[in-house]
Amino acid sequence: MDKTMIICRCEEISYEEIEEVISNGAKRFDDIKRMTRCGMGPCQSKICNSLVATIIHEKTGIPIHEIPLPRMRMPISPIKLETLATNSTSFSSVKSVLDEVELEDGKVR
Amino acid sequence: METDVLIIGAGPSGLTAALETASRGLDVTIVEESFSMGGQFIQQTQLLQSLPSSYQPMRGFELAGLLTKQVEDYSIRCLLGHRVIGFYKDGSVGISDEINVFPLKAKKIIVATGAAENALAFPKWTLPGVMTIGAVQTLINRDFVLPGKHAVILGSSDFAMDVALQLSELGVQIKGIIEKTPSLTARDAEKVEEVRKKGIPVYVNSSIKEARGIGKVEEIDIVHGEQILTVSVDVVCIDGGRSPILDVFYQLGCSFSYQKELGGWIPQYNKSLQTDREDVFLAGNAAGVSSQGVLLTTGMIAGVYVSESLGAISKQEADIETMSLWRELEIMETKLYPDAWKARMQHVENFEHPVLKDQFIS
Repeated sequence: MDKTMIICRCEEISYEEIEEVISNGAKRFDDIKRMTRCGMGPCQSKICNSLVATIIHEKTGIPIHEIPLPRMRMPISPIKLETLATNSTSFSSVKSVLDEVELEDGKVR
Repeated sequence: METDVLIIGAGPSGLTAALETASRGLDVTIVEESFSMGGQFIQQTQLLQSLPSSYQPMRGFELAGLLTKQVEDYSIRCLLGHRVIGFYKDGSVGISDEINVFPLKAKKIIVATGAAENALAFPKWTLPGVMTIGAVQTLINRDFVLPGKHAVILGSSDFAMDVALQLSELGVQIKGIIEKTPSLTARDAEKVEEVRKKGIPVYVNSSIKEARGIGKVEEIDIVHGEQILTVSVDVVCIDGGRSPILDVFYQLGCSFSYQKELGGWIPQYNKSLQTDREDVFLAGNAAGVSSQGVLLTTGMIAGVYVSESLGAISKQEADIETMSLWRELEIMETKLYPDAWKARMQHVENFEHPVLKDQFIS
Protein backbone atom coordinates (compact mmCIF):
# COMPACT_ATOMS: atom_id res chain seq x y z
CA MET A 1 0.00 0.00 0.00
CA ASP A 2 1.09 3.54 -0.65
CA LYS A 3 2.76 5.02 2.44
CA THR A 4 1.48 8.56 1.96
CA MET A 5 -2.17 7.47 1.78
CA ILE A 6 -4.29 9.32 4.35
CA ILE A 7 -6.10 6.99 6.74
CA CYS A 8 -7.55 9.41 9.32
CA ARG A 9 -9.08 12.25 7.35
CA CYS A 10 -9.86 14.49 10.31
CA GLU A 11 -6.33 14.50 11.76
CA GLU A 12 -4.53 13.74 8.48
CA ILE A 13 -2.72 10.67 9.75
CA SER A 14 -1.04 8.69 6.98
CA TYR A 15 -0.61 4.98 6.45
CA GLU A 16 3.09 5.38 7.21
CA GLU A 17 2.47 6.85 10.67
CA ILE A 18 0.07 4.06 11.58
CA GLU A 19 2.48 1.44 10.27
CA GLU A 20 5.20 2.92 12.44
CA VAL A 21 3.26 2.76 15.71
CA ILE A 22 2.17 -0.80 14.89
CA SER A 23 5.84 -1.73 14.48
CA ASN A 24 6.35 -0.18 17.92
CA GLY A 25 3.82 -2.57 19.41
CA ALA A 26 0.37 -0.99 18.93
CA LYS A 27 -2.26 -3.75 18.73
CA ARG A 28 -5.62 -2.01 18.91
CA PHE A 29 -7.24 1.19 17.73
CA ASP A 30 -6.89 2.94 21.07
CA ASP A 31 -3.12 2.32 21.13
CA ILE A 32 -2.78 3.99 17.75
CA LYS A 33 -5.09 6.80 18.84
CA ARG A 34 -2.96 7.59 21.88
CA MET A 35 0.24 7.70 19.88
CA THR A 36 -0.88 9.49 16.71
CA ARG A 37 -4.20 11.34 17.37
CA CYS A 38 -5.78 9.05 14.73
CA GLY A 39 -9.54 9.06 15.35
CA MET A 40 -9.52 12.15 17.57
CA GLY A 41 -11.07 14.53 15.02
CA PRO A 42 -14.72 15.49 14.58
CA CYS A 43 -15.78 12.11 13.16
CA GLN A 44 -14.48 10.40 16.32
CA SER A 45 -13.05 7.38 14.47
CA LYS A 46 -16.29 6.62 12.60
CA ILE A 47 -14.53 6.65 9.22
CA CYS A 48 -11.02 5.36 9.98
CA ASN A 49 -11.97 2.63 12.46
CA SER A 50 -12.41 -0.15 9.88
CA LEU A 51 -9.42 1.02 7.82
CA VAL A 52 -7.15 0.94 10.87
CA ALA A 53 -8.45 -2.49 11.92
CA THR A 54 -7.56 -3.80 8.44
CA ILE A 55 -4.03 -2.37 8.68
CA ILE A 56 -3.51 -3.90 12.15
CA HIS A 57 -4.73 -7.22 10.76
CA GLU A 58 -2.40 -7.04 7.76
CA LYS A 59 0.65 -5.97 9.74
CA THR A 60 0.32 -8.22 12.79
CA GLY A 61 -1.82 -11.13 11.64
CA ILE A 62 -4.26 -10.60 14.53
CA PRO A 63 -7.69 -11.73 13.26
CA ILE A 64 -10.14 -8.84 12.77
CA HIS A 65 -12.54 -10.24 15.39
CA GLU A 66 -9.80 -10.03 18.01
CA ILE A 67 -9.15 -6.34 17.38
CA PRO A 68 -11.50 -4.60 19.83
CA LEU A 69 -13.64 -1.59 19.02
CA PRO A 70 -12.30 1.87 19.85
CA ARG A 71 -13.65 3.26 23.09
CA MET A 72 -16.73 5.40 22.40
CA ARG A 73 -17.12 8.13 24.94
CA MET A 74 -19.80 10.62 25.78
CA PRO A 75 -20.78 12.90 24.08
CA ILE A 76 -21.76 10.52 21.30
CA SER A 77 -21.52 13.25 18.67
CA PRO A 78 -19.78 16.63 18.81
CA ILE A 79 -21.73 19.18 20.80
CA LYS A 80 -20.99 22.71 21.92
CA LEU A 81 -19.76 22.95 25.49
CA GLU A 82 -22.16 25.88 25.84
CA THR A 83 -25.07 23.57 24.98
CA LEU A 84 -23.89 20.90 27.38
CA ALA A 85 -23.78 23.42 30.19
CA THR A 86 -27.20 24.97 29.48
CA ASN A 87 -30.26 24.26 31.58
CA SER A 88 -28.52 21.47 33.42
CA THR A 89 -30.60 21.77 36.56
CA SER A 90 -31.00 18.09 37.41
CA PHE A 91 -27.40 17.05 36.91
CA SER A 92 -23.94 18.41 36.41
CA SER A 93 -22.81 18.00 32.83
CA VAL A 94 -19.16 17.98 33.81
CA LYS A 95 -19.78 15.23 36.31
CA SER A 96 -21.58 13.18 33.69
CA VAL A 97 -18.40 13.01 31.62
CA LEU A 98 -16.43 11.93 34.67
CA ASP A 99 -19.06 9.35 35.56
CA GLU A 100 -17.38 6.79 33.37
CA VAL A 101 -14.33 6.77 35.65
CA GLU A 102 -14.78 4.91 38.90
CA LEU A 103 -12.45 5.79 41.73
CA GLU A 104 -11.23 3.45 44.42
CA ASP A 105 -9.03 4.95 47.15
CA GLY A 106 -8.54 7.97 44.94
CA LYS A 107 -7.27 5.87 42.02
CA VAL A 108 -8.96 4.88 38.79
CA ARG A 109 -10.29 1.36 39.22
CA MET B 1 -39.49 13.75 30.88
CA GLU B 2 -40.66 10.17 31.26
CA THR B 3 -41.86 7.57 28.78
CA ASP B 4 -42.56 3.84 28.55
CA VAL B 5 -40.60 3.17 25.39
CA LEU B 6 -37.82 5.29 23.92
CA ILE B 7 -36.93 4.56 20.31
CA ILE B 8 -33.61 5.92 19.10
CA GLY B 9 -33.82 6.44 15.34
CA ALA B 10 -36.89 7.04 13.16
CA GLY B 11 -35.75 4.90 10.26
CA PRO B 12 -37.90 2.03 8.93
CA SER B 13 -37.20 -0.33 11.85
CA GLY B 14 -37.65 2.38 14.48
CA LEU B 15 -41.02 3.32 12.96
CA THR B 16 -42.36 -0.26 12.80
CA ALA B 17 -41.22 -0.76 16.41
CA ALA B 18 -43.06 2.45 17.35
CA LEU B 19 -46.24 1.22 15.66
CA GLU B 20 -46.12 -2.17 17.42
CA THR B 21 -45.69 -0.58 20.84
CA ALA B 22 -47.99 2.43 20.44
CA SER B 23 -50.82 0.28 19.03
CA ARG B 24 -50.78 -1.65 22.33
CA GLY B 25 -51.38 1.47 24.34
CA LEU B 26 -47.84 2.21 25.46
CA ASP B 27 -46.42 5.72 25.75
CA VAL B 28 -43.80 5.97 22.99
CA THR B 29 -41.11 8.60 22.32
CA ILE B 30 -38.96 8.67 19.18
CA VAL B 31 -35.66 10.55 19.02
CA GLU B 32 -34.40 11.32 15.52
CA GLU B 33 -31.46 13.53 14.61
CA SER B 34 -32.75 14.59 11.19
CA PHE B 35 -35.89 16.65 10.65
CA SER B 36 -37.87 13.96 8.87
CA MET B 37 -38.87 10.39 9.61
CA GLY B 38 -38.20 7.39 7.37
CA GLY B 39 -34.42 7.23 7.59
CA GLN B 40 -32.61 6.37 4.38
CA PHE B 41 -35.88 5.23 2.77
CA ILE B 42 -36.78 8.83 1.95
CA GLN B 43 -34.25 8.95 -0.87
CA GLN B 44 -34.62 5.42 -2.18
CA THR B 45 -36.40 5.38 -5.53
CA GLN B 46 -35.76 1.73 -6.35
CA LEU B 47 -38.70 -0.67 -6.05
CA LEU B 48 -38.57 -2.74 -2.86
CA GLN B 49 -39.76 -6.21 -3.84
CA SER B 50 -39.00 -8.21 -0.75
CA LEU B 51 -41.15 -6.73 2.03
CA PRO B 52 -43.09 -8.36 4.89
CA SER B 53 -46.49 -9.69 3.80
CA SER B 54 -48.34 -6.77 5.43
CA TYR B 55 -46.77 -4.38 2.89
CA GLN B 56 -47.26 -4.19 -0.88
CA PRO B 57 -44.12 -3.84 -3.03
CA MET B 58 -43.43 -0.12 -3.32
CA ARG B 59 -40.62 2.38 -3.69
CA GLY B 60 -38.52 3.37 -0.69
CA PHE B 61 -39.77 6.94 -0.38
CA GLU B 62 -43.38 5.77 -0.69
CA LEU B 63 -42.83 3.35 2.17
CA ALA B 64 -41.20 6.12 4.23
CA GLY B 65 -44.29 8.26 3.62
CA LEU B 66 -46.64 5.43 4.56
CA LEU B 67 -44.82 4.64 7.81
CA THR B 68 -44.61 8.32 8.76
CA LYS B 69 -48.34 8.72 8.19
CA GLN B 70 -49.12 5.64 10.30
CA VAL B 71 -46.95 6.94 13.13
CA GLU B 72 -48.69 10.30 13.02
CA ASP B 73 -52.04 8.57 13.52
CA TYR B 74 -50.94 7.52 17.00
CA SER B 75 -50.05 9.93 19.77
CA ILE B 76 -46.36 9.14 19.56
CA ARG B 77 -43.99 11.83 20.83
CA CYS B 78 -41.56 12.56 17.98
CA LEU B 79 -38.45 14.50 18.92
CA LEU B 80 -37.16 15.38 15.45
CA GLY B 81 -33.86 17.25 15.27
CA HIS B 82 -32.82 15.79 18.62
CA ARG B 83 -29.81 13.64 19.37
CA VAL B 84 -28.86 11.24 22.12
CA ILE B 85 -25.56 12.49 23.49
CA GLY B 86 -24.99 10.06 26.32
CA PHE B 87 -26.42 8.33 29.37
CA TYR B 88 -26.45 9.33 33.02
CA LYS B 89 -25.64 7.28 36.04
CA ASP B 90 -29.30 7.04 37.09
CA GLY B 91 -30.06 5.40 33.73
CA SER B 92 -31.71 8.39 32.09
CA VAL B 93 -30.89 9.33 28.52
CA GLY B 94 -29.25 12.69 27.74
CA ILE B 95 -30.98 14.31 24.77
CA SER B 96 -30.00 17.51 23.02
CA ASP B 97 -31.67 19.72 20.44
CA GLU B 98 -28.42 21.69 19.95
CA ILE B 99 -29.65 24.41 22.33
CA ASN B 100 -30.69 22.50 25.44
CA VAL B 101 -29.73 19.23 27.03
CA PHE B 102 -32.37 17.36 29.02
CA PRO B 103 -32.68 13.93 30.62
CA LEU B 104 -35.36 11.46 29.60
CA LYS B 105 -36.26 8.43 31.64
CA ALA B 106 -37.52 5.40 29.72
CA LYS B 107 -38.64 2.01 30.99
CA LYS B 108 -37.40 0.31 27.81
CA ILE B 109 -35.13 1.52 25.01
CA ILE B 110 -35.17 0.28 21.42
CA VAL B 111 -31.95 1.23 19.64
CA ALA B 112 -32.50 1.54 15.88
CA THR B 113 -29.48 3.61 14.94
CA GLY B 114 -28.92 1.89 11.59
CA ALA B 115 -25.65 1.45 9.76
CA ALA B 116 -22.95 3.69 8.34
CA GLU B 117 -21.00 3.25 5.14
CA ASN B 118 -17.44 1.98 5.29
CA ALA B 119 -14.55 3.78 3.66
CA LEU B 120 -12.08 2.24 1.22
CA ALA B 121 -8.74 4.03 1.09
CA PHE B 122 -6.45 4.61 -1.86
CA PRO B 123 -3.91 7.38 -2.47
CA LYS B 124 -5.68 10.78 -2.76
CA TRP B 125 -9.07 9.33 -1.77
CA THR B 126 -9.67 12.51 0.22
CA LEU B 127 -9.96 14.63 -2.96
CA PRO B 128 -13.35 16.31 -3.49
CA GLY B 129 -15.39 14.19 -5.90
CA VAL B 130 -14.62 10.96 -4.07
CA MET B 131 -17.67 10.04 -2.02
CA THR B 132 -19.59 7.05 -0.75
CA ILE B 133 -22.25 5.50 -2.92
CA GLY B 134 -24.93 6.43 -0.37
CA ALA B 135 -23.87 10.07 -0.59
CA VAL B 136 -24.32 9.90 -4.36
CA GLN B 137 -27.83 8.53 -3.96
CA THR B 138 -28.67 11.23 -1.43
CA LEU B 139 -27.40 13.93 -3.80
CA ILE B 140 -29.40 12.76 -6.80
CA ASN B 141 -32.64 11.66 -5.14
CA ARG B 142 -32.99 14.00 -2.17
CA ASP B 143 -31.11 17.13 -3.19
CA PHE B 144 -31.62 16.79 -6.98
CA VAL B 145 -27.95 17.55 -7.59
CA LEU B 146 -25.92 15.69 -10.18
CA PRO B 147 -22.57 14.85 -8.56
CA GLY B 148 -20.72 14.84 -11.89
CA LYS B 149 -20.71 13.62 -15.47
CA HIS B 150 -18.16 10.82 -15.55
CA ALA B 151 -18.11 8.33 -12.69
CA VAL B 152 -16.51 5.10 -11.58
CA ILE B 153 -17.85 2.87 -8.86
CA LEU B 154 -15.50 1.02 -6.52
CA GLY B 155 -17.33 -2.06 -5.22
CA SER B 156 -20.19 -4.04 -6.74
CA SER B 157 -22.96 -4.74 -4.22
CA ASP B 158 -26.66 -4.75 -5.09
CA PHE B 159 -26.82 -1.18 -3.87
CA ALA B 160 -23.97 -0.22 -6.24
CA MET B 161 -25.99 -1.71 -9.11
CA ASP B 162 -29.05 0.35 -8.11
CA VAL B 163 -27.06 3.58 -8.06
CA ALA B 164 -25.19 2.70 -11.27
CA LEU B 165 -28.56 2.34 -13.04
CA GLN B 166 -29.92 5.55 -11.52
CA LEU B 167 -26.80 7.50 -12.53
CA SER B 168 -26.80 6.25 -16.10
CA GLU B 169 -30.52 7.04 -16.43
CA LEU B 170 -29.62 10.62 -15.50
CA GLY B 171 -27.00 10.76 -18.24
CA VAL B 172 -23.95 10.22 -16.10
CA GLN B 173 -21.40 8.14 -17.98
CA ILE B 174 -20.28 5.22 -15.81
CA LYS B 175 -16.73 4.51 -16.87
CA GLY B 176 -16.42 1.35 -14.90
CA ILE B 177 -17.37 -0.77 -11.93
CA ILE B 178 -14.22 -1.87 -10.13
CA GLU B 179 -14.34 -5.00 -8.01
CA LYS B 180 -11.39 -6.55 -6.19
CA THR B 181 -12.79 -10.10 -6.03
CA PRO B 182 -13.07 -12.36 -9.15
CA SER B 183 -16.82 -11.75 -9.56
CA LEU B 184 -19.47 -9.12 -8.80
CA THR B 185 -20.78 -9.27 -5.23
CA ALA B 186 -24.35 -8.27 -6.23
CA ARG B 187 -26.87 -11.09 -5.73
CA ASP B 188 -29.76 -9.69 -7.76
CA ALA B 189 -29.16 -11.29 -11.18
CA GLU B 190 -31.79 -9.09 -12.86
CA LYS B 191 -30.05 -5.89 -11.88
CA VAL B 192 -26.63 -7.20 -12.93
CA GLU B 193 -28.13 -8.07 -16.31
CA GLU B 194 -29.55 -4.54 -16.63
CA VAL B 195 -26.14 -3.07 -15.85
CA ARG B 196 -24.58 -5.34 -18.50
CA LYS B 197 -27.16 -4.20 -21.05
CA LYS B 198 -26.21 -0.56 -20.43
CA GLY B 199 -22.70 -1.46 -21.58
CA ILE B 200 -21.02 -0.40 -18.34
CA PRO B 201 -17.50 -1.87 -18.24
CA VAL B 202 -16.87 -4.17 -15.29
CA TYR B 203 -13.32 -4.70 -14.03
CA VAL B 204 -13.03 -7.69 -11.72
CA ASN B 205 -9.81 -8.59 -9.87
CA SER B 206 -9.09 -4.87 -10.01
CA SER B 207 -8.46 -1.95 -7.69
CA ILE B 208 -7.76 1.77 -7.79
CA LYS B 209 -4.03 2.45 -7.66
CA GLU B 210 -4.29 6.18 -7.28
CA ALA B 211 -6.51 9.20 -7.88
CA ARG B 212 -5.14 12.47 -9.22
CA GLY B 213 -6.35 15.99 -9.65
CA ILE B 214 -5.86 19.59 -8.59
CA GLY B 215 -8.48 20.59 -6.06
CA LYS B 216 -10.80 17.79 -7.22
CA VAL B 217 -10.56 14.29 -8.63
CA GLU B 218 -9.70 14.42 -12.34
CA GLU B 219 -8.38 10.97 -13.20
CA ILE B 220 -7.78 7.60 -11.62
CA ASP B 221 -5.52 4.66 -12.33
CA ILE B 222 -7.19 1.26 -12.32
CA VAL B 223 -5.00 -1.79 -11.78
CA HIS B 224 -6.55 -4.44 -14.04
CA GLY B 225 -4.42 -7.57 -14.19
CA GLU B 226 -1.01 -6.62 -15.57
CA GLN B 227 -2.09 -3.31 -17.02
CA ILE B 228 -2.91 0.06 -15.57
CA LEU B 229 -5.83 1.94 -17.11
CA THR B 230 -6.03 5.69 -16.70
CA VAL B 231 -9.60 6.98 -16.74
CA SER B 232 -10.67 10.61 -16.52
CA VAL B 233 -13.54 11.02 -14.05
CA ASP B 234 -15.09 13.67 -11.85
CA VAL B 235 -16.86 11.32 -9.41
CA VAL B 236 -15.61 8.21 -7.64
CA CYS B 237 -18.31 6.33 -5.72
CA ILE B 238 -17.00 4.16 -2.90
CA ASP B 239 -19.12 1.15 -2.03
CA GLY B 240 -17.32 -0.36 0.96
CA GLY B 241 -20.37 -1.99 2.50
CA ARG B 242 -22.04 -0.88 5.72
CA SER B 243 -21.45 -1.50 9.41
CA PRO B 244 -23.85 -1.05 12.35
CA ILE B 245 -23.58 2.23 14.29
CA LEU B 246 -22.55 1.18 17.78
CA ASP B 247 -21.87 4.26 19.96
CA VAL B 248 -25.18 4.05 21.81
CA PHE B 249 -24.73 0.36 22.60
CA TYR B 250 -21.18 0.99 23.75
CA GLN B 251 -22.32 3.77 26.06
CA LEU B 252 -25.04 1.51 27.43
CA GLY B 253 -22.46 -1.16 28.24
CA CYS B 254 -23.83 -3.82 25.87
CA SER B 255 -21.64 -6.76 24.79
CA PHE B 256 -20.58 -7.33 21.21
CA SER B 257 -19.59 -10.13 18.88
CA TYR B 258 -18.11 -10.15 15.43
CA GLN B 259 -20.18 -11.38 12.46
CA LYS B 260 -18.57 -10.52 9.14
CA GLU B 261 -21.73 -11.19 7.09
CA LEU B 262 -23.77 -8.79 9.24
CA GLY B 263 -21.33 -5.90 8.93
CA GLY B 264 -18.65 -6.65 11.54
CA TRP B 265 -19.08 -5.90 15.24
CA ILE B 266 -22.71 -6.14 16.33
CA PRO B 267 -24.33 -6.01 19.79
CA GLN B 268 -25.16 -9.33 21.39
CA TYR B 269 -28.89 -10.12 21.21
CA ASN B 270 -31.34 -12.98 21.66
CA LYS B 271 -34.47 -14.11 19.82
CA SER B 272 -36.47 -11.32 21.46
CA LEU B 273 -33.97 -8.82 19.97
CA GLN B 274 -33.02 -7.98 23.54
CA THR B 275 -29.40 -7.12 24.29
CA ASP B 276 -27.68 -8.42 27.41
CA ARG B 277 -29.02 -5.33 29.17
CA GLU B 278 -32.54 -6.24 30.16
CA ASP B 279 -34.07 -2.87 29.30
CA VAL B 280 -32.37 -2.42 25.93
CA PHE B 281 -33.67 -3.88 22.67
CA LEU B 282 -32.47 -3.29 19.13
CA ALA B 283 -33.81 -3.36 15.58
CA GLY B 284 -32.88 -2.81 11.96
CA ASN B 285 -29.38 -2.47 10.56
CA ALA B 286 -28.04 -1.96 14.08
CA ALA B 287 -28.84 -5.66 14.61
CA GLY B 288 -26.86 -6.61 11.49
CA VAL B 289 -26.87 -5.03 8.06
CA SER B 290 -29.57 -6.51 5.86
CA SER B 291 -32.22 -5.88 3.22
CA GLN B 292 -35.13 -3.46 3.62
CA GLY B 293 -37.78 -6.10 4.35
CA VAL B 294 -35.69 -7.51 7.17
CA LEU B 295 -35.35 -4.04 8.75
CA LEU B 296 -39.13 -3.68 8.99
CA THR B 297 -39.54 -7.16 10.43
CA THR B 298 -36.85 -6.77 13.12
CA GLY B 299 -38.55 -3.53 14.17
CA MET B 300 -41.86 -5.38 14.55
CA ILE B 301 -40.27 -8.22 16.55
CA ALA B 302 -38.52 -5.80 18.91
CA GLY B 303 -41.78 -3.87 19.28
CA VAL B 304 -43.77 -6.99 20.19
CA TYR B 305 -41.25 -8.12 22.82
CA VAL B 306 -40.99 -4.67 24.36
CA SER B 307 -44.78 -4.67 24.66
CA GLU B 308 -44.55 -8.07 26.32
CA SER B 309 -41.84 -6.95 28.74
CA LEU B 310 -44.03 -4.01 29.82
CA GLY B 311 -47.04 -6.29 30.35
CA ALA B 312 -49.11 -4.96 27.45
CA ILE B 313 -49.45 -8.49 26.01
CA SER B 314 -48.81 -11.94 27.39
CA LYS B 315 -45.68 -13.98 26.72
CA GLN B 316 -47.78 -16.50 24.84
CA GLU B 317 -49.26 -13.88 22.51
CA ALA B 318 -45.84 -12.40 21.87
CA ASP B 319 -44.33 -15.78 21.02
CA ILE B 320 -47.16 -16.61 18.61
CA GLU B 321 -46.90 -13.24 16.84
CA THR B 322 -43.15 -13.28 16.53
CA MET B 323 -43.01 -16.88 15.36
CA SER B 324 -44.59 -15.89 12.04
CA LEU B 325 -42.42 -12.75 11.87
CA TRP B 326 -39.22 -14.76 12.34
CA ARG B 327 -40.45 -17.18 9.67
CA GLU B 328 -40.97 -14.28 7.25
CA LEU B 329 -37.60 -12.84 8.13
CA GLU B 330 -35.97 -16.17 7.35
CA ILE B 331 -37.65 -16.36 3.94
CA MET B 332 -36.71 -12.78 3.03
CA GLU B 333 -33.13 -13.04 4.21
CA THR B 334 -32.32 -16.50 2.83
CA LYS B 335 -33.61 -15.46 -0.59
CA LEU B 336 -30.83 -12.93 -1.21
CA TYR B 337 -28.39 -13.28 1.66
CA PRO B 338 -28.35 -16.85 3.02
CA ASP B 339 -24.97 -16.24 4.68
CA ALA B 340 -26.36 -13.28 6.61
CA TRP B 341 -29.22 -15.45 7.90
CA LYS B 342 -26.78 -18.16 8.98
CA ALA B 343 -24.60 -15.58 10.75
CA ARG B 344 -27.69 -14.09 12.45
CA MET B 345 -28.80 -17.48 13.79
CA GLN B 346 -25.29 -18.22 14.98
CA HIS B 347 -25.20 -14.82 16.67
CA VAL B 348 -28.50 -15.42 18.48
CA GLU B 349 -27.44 -18.90 19.63
CA ASN B 350 -24.19 -17.47 20.92
CA PHE B 351 -26.03 -14.93 23.09
CA GLU B 352 -24.37 -16.08 26.32
CA HIS B 353 -20.85 -15.92 24.90
CA PRO B 354 -19.99 -12.46 23.60
CA VAL B 355 -16.49 -11.66 22.34
CA LEU B 356 -16.34 -8.16 23.80
CA LYS B 357 -17.80 -7.71 27.28
CA ASP B 358 -17.41 -5.17 30.11
CA GLN B 359 -15.23 -3.18 27.78
CA PHE B 360 -16.04 0.25 29.19
CA ILE B 361 -13.87 0.32 32.28
CA SER B 362 -10.54 -1.15 31.37
